[in-house]
Amino acid sequence: MKLRIQPRSIAFRLILAVLGIELLSSVLVVALSYGYERHIHFHAFDVMLHGRVDSILGAVQEADDPGENVMLEQADLHVPPEDIYEVWDENGRLLGRSANWKDAPDWKTDGGAPPAHPWGDYLLISTNGHHYRLLRIQGSRTIDPRENGGGKVRKVTVIYGSQTGHVWHIIHQAVQFYAIGSLALLLVTGPLIAWLLHRGLLPLRELAALASQVSVDSWHFSPPDSARTTPELAPLTHAIEAVLQRLERSFTQQKTFVSDAAHELKTAVAVQKSSLQLLNMKRRTLQEYQAGLERCVADSLRLESLVADMLTLARAETPAPNAEAQPTTDLNHCISQVVTQMESIASLRNVKVAIPDLDPKAAPLNVAMHAEDCRLLVSNLLLNALQHSPSESTVEIRVTTNPGSNPPVAVLVLQDHGDGIPGEALPHVFDRFYRGDPSRTRNTGGTGLGLAICKALVQKARGAIQIASQPDAGQPDQGTAVTVLLPLAS
Amino acid sequence: MRVLIVEDEVRLAENLATALRDGPGFAVDWAEDGLAGDDLAANPCYDLIILDLMLPKLDGLGLLKRLRARRDATPVLILTAKDGADSIIQLLNAGADDYLAKPFDLGELIARAKALIRRGKGAAHPTLNTLGMEVNTLEQTVRRNGNFVDLSPTEYRILEYLIHRPRVIVSKRELLEHLYDYNWEHHSNVIEVHVSNLRKKLDAAVPEADPIIETMRGRGYRLAPSFPAELDPTAEDPAIDRTTERTR
Repeated sequence: MKLRIQPRSIAFRLILAVLGIELLSSVLVVALSYGYERHIHFHAFDVMLHGRVDSILGAVQEADDPGENVMLEQADLHVPPEDIYEVWDENGRLLGRSANWKDAPDWKTDGGAPPAHPWGDYLLISTNGHHYRLLRIQGSRTIDPRENGGGKVRKVTVIYGSQTGHVWHIIHQAVQFYAIGSLALLLVTGPLIAWLLHRGLLPLRELAALASQVSVDSWHFSPPDSARTTPELAPLTHAIEAVLQRLERSFTQQKTFVSDAAHELKTAVAVQKSSLQLLNMKRRTLQEYQAGLERCVADSLRLESLVADMLTLARAETPAPNAEAQPTTDLNHCISQVVTQMESIASLRNVKVAIPDLDPKAAPLNVAMHAEDCRLLVSNLLLNALQHSPSESTVEIRVTTNPGSNPPVAVLVLQDHGDGIPGEALPHVFDRFYRGDPSRTRNTGGTGLGLAICKALVQKARGAIQIASQPDAGQPDQGTAVTVLLPLAS
Repeated sequence: MRVLIVEDEVRLAENLATALRDGPGFAVDWAEDGLAGDDLAANPCYDLIILDLMLPKLDGLGLLKRLRARRDATPVLILTAKDGADSIIQLLNAGADDYLAKPFDLGELIARAKALIRRGKGAAHPTLNTLGMEVNTLEQTVRRNGNFVDLSPTEYRILEYLIHRPRVIVSKRELLEHLYDYNWEHHSNVIEVHVSNLRKKLDAAVPEADPIIETMRGRGYRLAPSFPAELDPTAEDPAIDRTTERTR
């Protein structure tokens, strides 16, 4: 059995707690046994003292003197030699005292007084180098009971003491027995608890061992049945499984993105390299060189926009720091700015951009978004709509608010009347590097990141983006509608 | 020789096609997605397929598997942007003959393309020595019995194709298919003129030689008909028979 007990480990703390409780109960048991033993043994001791006092009383005899006094007949007295006693009569006269009581106090006055309690009272004294427990009790002796109708009653006070040393010894021995027994139990149960804990925590260790085998290369995690069926471990097991699944998903996404990005970049570099090498393959005319260089510049511009889009996406996906003050942008102003900027592209493609609801005098519609993000979002969406619009069609931009929702949002809709997106492609349009129609978007110079950037920007602003499309030709609503919900600035 | 490029990146395909036409003088066709590539590759006129891996509709690996599943032995050169030995092993095991990682060197690509075509025809050395002729495929020069023969690019391409298939009747149609891509106007009499010029130039190199290219009326052309089969060093070459079968 290999026990690795470290401070702060659960096993360590549990063992410590159990041993602490055991120790506390041992102390309690010892204390209780001390009280109990003391009570029992002193009770017996007191009974014995009473018996001895009775013997003393028995030895009080009638004295042959005219005063009808009493005397103590010590010769007939059989008490243990180490005990001490003295006997007083009611007049304060000492009738007798044990010989071994050297420095007896002179109780002429109070020693002869009757005790407060009819059963006597107790005194503790120390004499002859020993501790004594004294019983003082008043007894009576009837002198000549046959004379004058009852005789004379003489009261005597007996003080009798016996050594307590051996009683204490017995008590101490009993308490010692209990203490040693408890300690021995503690020593035996300590390792036993450690071993039981070790066995009891086995499912936890199995779970940990299996969980530690999970790595970037191997996401497989099948929790042991012991962990699954243990009520305390089941939630942890489920949590680990869920976390691993989420991690694997996001890791796979990340990996796919990196691999896609590498593919795009390598392809773009391959285009450039091959263009230059092609130009250099043989001697060419000045015109050929010029045309070749122009192609190379165009290739560089594509590479540049790809890199720029990837950086924009990376920036858009970085969550905003919480401490930052809430950004505010006027959505209406942003839209009219972008539409103005895109006018040349729109007229080049012969597409009209209509903003039916936009009133330049209206109050600003402030959304919780950075101005630059907002501009990027609107221009990406508009560019996308323009690129997919046939000649002489219209792209409509509508802005409404939905103050009833929680939080209140601005609703931005861009509707084009292009070919639409086939249903099977629709769930993927926000994926990075996804191209609905690869050859066309490559020809138009798209990087496949535009909508992914839009989604990242909207998510950063805690909004939502949806896309709906009617790809069937001839339908009045043919085309694609992108709906963006942006929380209003509070 | 005719090459099929399956590549969705337009500019890269343009550059490759131009380089292969200008350099080794191949006829080049281009497909921009996997399905179109598969359609074109079904035609047995290609001597090499240059295949990109990440393609829309049908990816490069899928196309390769379809190609090999119908026992098409055309050499395939893969262009890949993927790293890692796993994907390369998978590709080679699926029947690819060679691969180049993007971004590649254009010169290397041309050299590999030539080597793959050569190997596909059963020749190991870039200089072909047959029937007293020495054809250097790198310099694109021809000598007959040591005498230099000056050929036009088209004449050279016809000879290079015929020399890989001695004693086999090669139809005009086959010659057209392997020497011209779809962008070319097909005129069979163009071939007749070129073959006639080629024959004259080759025969002029050696005095009183037998005509080295025989015209089989209505059937096509045959290289080196006058040599007895047992003296022909290429007769034992099984690779040539195999290519013959495939084209039939």
